Amino acid sequence: MFNRRSLLAGATALGGASLLPSLAYAKGIVTAATYPGSWEEAYRTVVAPALKKVHDIDLELQPLYAVDQIAKVRAARGAPPFDAFVLDPGPRITGIEGGLFEKFDAKKIGNASKLPTGMIDEWGICVGAQVVGIGYNPKKLPKPTSWKDLLSDPWVSRLGITGFQTTFGTVSLIEIAKAFGGSETNVEPAFVELKKVLPKIAAVGNPAAMAGLLQQGQCDITYTNIQTVAILKSRGVDIEFVKPDSGAVAFFTTMHIAKGATDVENAYKYFDTVVSKAVGDALVQPPHNFIPVNREVVLPSSLPMTNLDEMSTYVRHDWSKINPLRAAWIEKFNKEMAK
Amino acid sequence: MKKLAEWQLALPLTLAFASIFLAPLLMLVGVSFFNDDKITEPGFGQWAKFLGDPFSYKVIFDTMMLGLKTVCATILIGYPLALVYLDASPRLQKVLIFVIVMPLLLSVVVRTFAWIVVLGREGVVNTVLMQLGVISEPLRLLQTELGLVISLTQIEMPLMLLPLISVMSRLDPNLRDASAALGASRWRTLFTVIVPLSMPGLVAGCLLVFASSTTAFISQTVIGGVRLIYLPLLIWQQSLVVFNWPFAAVVSITLLISVLTVVSALSWLGRRSGGYVHG
Amino acid sequence: MGRRRSLGDLSYGLVIGTLATLALLIIVAPVVIVLTTSFTEGRSLKFPPTGFSLQWYEALFDPSKSRQIHRAVSNSLEVAAWSTGFGMLLGSMAALGIARNRHRLARVADGFFLSPLVLPGLTFGLAALMYFTLIGFRPSLNLIIAGHMIVTIPFILRTTTASLSQLDPALLDSSQSLGASWLYTLRRVTLPLIAPGIFAGAFLAFMASIDNVPVSLFLSTARTDMLPIRMWGMMESTLDPRIAAVSGVLITAAFLLMLVMEWTVGLTRRMRE
Repeated sequence: MFNRRSLLAGATALGGASLLPSLAYAKGIVTAATYPGSWEEAYRTVVAPALKKVHDIDLELQPLYAVDQIAKVRAARGAPPFDAFVLDPGPRITGIEGGLFEKFDAKKIGNASKLPTGMIDEWGICVGAQVVGIGYNPKKLPKPTSWKDLLSDPWVSRLGITGFQTTFGTVSLIEIAKAFGGSETNVEPAFVELKKVLPKIAAVGNPAAMAGLLQQGQCDITYTNIQTVAILKSRGVDIEFVKPDSGAVAFFTTMHIAKGATDVENAYKYFDTVVSKAVGDALVQPPHNFIPVNREVVLPSSLPMTNLDEMSTYVRHDWSKINPLRAAWIEKFNKEMAK
Repeated sequence: MKKLAEWQLALPLTLAFASIFLAPLLMLVGVSFFNDDKITEPGFGQWAKFLGDPFSYKVIFDTMMLGLKTVCATILIGYPLALVYLDASPRLQKVLIFVIVMPLLLSVVVRTFAWIVVLGREGVVNTVLMQLGVISEPLRLLQTELGLVISLTQIEMPLMLLPLISVMSRLDPNLRDASAALGASRWRTLFTVIVPLSMPGLVAGCLLVFASSTTAFISQTVIGGVRLIYLPLLIWQQSLVVFNWPFAAVVSITLLISVLTVVSALSWLGRRSGGYVHG
Repeated sequence: MGRRRSLGDLSYGLVIGTLATLALLIIVAPVVIVLTTSFTEGRSLKFPPTGFSLQWYEALFDPSKSRQIHRAVSNSLEVAAWSTGFGMLLGSMAALGIARNRHRLARVADGFFLSPLVLPGLTFGLAALMYFTLIGFRPSLNLIIAGHMIVTIPFILRTTTASLSQLDPALLDSSQSLGASWLYTLRRVTLPLIAPGIFAGAFLAFMASIDNVPVSLFLSTARTDMLPIRMWGMMESTLDPRIAAVSGVLITAAFLLMLVMEWTVGLTRRMRE
């Protein structure tokens, strides 16, 4: 209707921005959600060129957190804004229950034989492992050894905590509960213990703020993903990752096809590219530090595991049990932590 | 004929609002009357759950108080700045306008970082106070309501000052001179002449500040931390973490109604004073 | 008597001066911190910054390194310009129509037009996405423009209404009793007088659109990446100093824009009138 772009060209130039790159259309296109930040960067620099080279497919990435992906697809009811999800275990189950995924056909993944068994199921494919543990500032604090340490001196007065809204927050609070006699389905001990030390805790924060809070010394220790620690460290932030003595937590990140997706075949090719050896070899390198699932990829020593079989030595959780409880935990966290 | 023509000017916006805003809003109201998060079973369950929980009232109250405190803080320091603007030379006025709109040019993303730097434990305020020997232990400013109000004051300042200044700068300067010539002190002139005449701008500013600070989710959670719980946090948790949209709708409608109530009261005051000005 | 008055005036100057200084301090401190940080030599946002360099500005302007940011900036500017443009047109029309109308319906409409400001953006974003897909629209730049217009128009309405309510009705009456048509009065009397209000509101609306997260989050697609959403990702996972540089550019651009407007239309003169 209007020639908006030409009108805006002047203003855009003022803002120092180049005009929209004209996209040369390839054989096909696939639109995939990806996590903002490190994931998006890695997928743009590694996966997109590989997909283009091997299958001549353009990868359009939409940076969205797992929960935002679920919310958008639910709201769009059958007309998903993207073809492929990338999710943590909790949102994955929400997606299955909400009927948001197309059934997954393992035969369409050429690299399937190179993955450990159980990496593909009827709903999607595992593309990588994530590890959760403790991140702390070694210049300010001694090295902690256990989840219990977080709630005792000297760490507790420098501790920053987050709630159940993220996967890493949820599993960490479960592990803290376990350290005090709780279990995967009983986080009550964590509330009891947190409440005792609450006045001492340095920050009860929004997960999005934790990097900034750590950088500026508002808190010096928190629970987080190993990847977050690696990236912050590579950017010069004083932070180290510790596996608690009871073991770090590991979970798989999975990809799924959105129900009603427009480019299903291309989505399979995208998944196949993501789990290919070439892409895996690139993703294990810094600054990405991903843990891919392809067995032929040699994991460098900088990563927390040398082999995917080590997943069994990590603490795992059953999200089908956690998910139904999470809403109540979030509510409880609000009330217990509220001033 | 004349009345009719004026009234009709609001029609295009009304149409736009009906199709882009009212329709989704009605949908939201509809959604709130479902008991389950799959939106299949109609009922009042979510309303009963929210209104039956005493914690909800605390959160509603805290949210409204946050808005009022921010409005007060913004008036307290913003109004004097507007007065300074009024007395300034044209050149200085240009500089001041630029300074006043500056907070809008900082994206909310970096702004939160800046406030961590200012208010943090090892932040600017604490460092300065400790070096001056005023305090020996760092003050807790971040993740307190005080810190939150201070940081909100910054971003709300343009919302308060732009309407205020656009109204104030059209006041007849002779009024102040006349007041002074009649022997009124500057304080008296301020409260009996300037404040009443600037009321429309002040009220417009208050409305904007109140509405925007009560819904400022990012500042509330990043600078206030999640121990300070306001309605937007509940909405976010319910809609994006546990996907209970009916409950999120209930909280949203509650927030909408609470804020609109306060805002209408302010607006009513504003119209009254506006009527007063023109006799 | 005279002595008391000068004491009063002294305290007036002291109190007003102190409070205004505090206001300036609170306004400027975060800006200074962000600008200082944008010149850091380090690889992450940290204050105080280490060293001085322009590398993050260079990285920001480099199309190969920051293509996504450029795309997001261009989308955000486009959306802000269009939503503010429509907002000014519809908003000032509506303000003229109802601000001086004492009918109860007009009051209801006034409150109604203000409500997007009050409805949390997150809720509107979600509801709008559900609604638009229901009636058959897919997320697009046009939908984002529509959504932004709705959530930013209250700024324009508010400031315009404030200006209008200050207008002396006698002025308009006399203009019309002198035989001027309604349109002529509007053009020659009303509009010049309320222009500062419209522009103040438009500026607020424009910046609110540029900085809107929630509506964009739900209505954007992979093709319509918006600036603040992109910046969130950069802040959260990597503390990328380019987000400080973005603010530096914005502030410089606004400064230049104001200079240009000053030369061409005498923006501040209008604001004072």
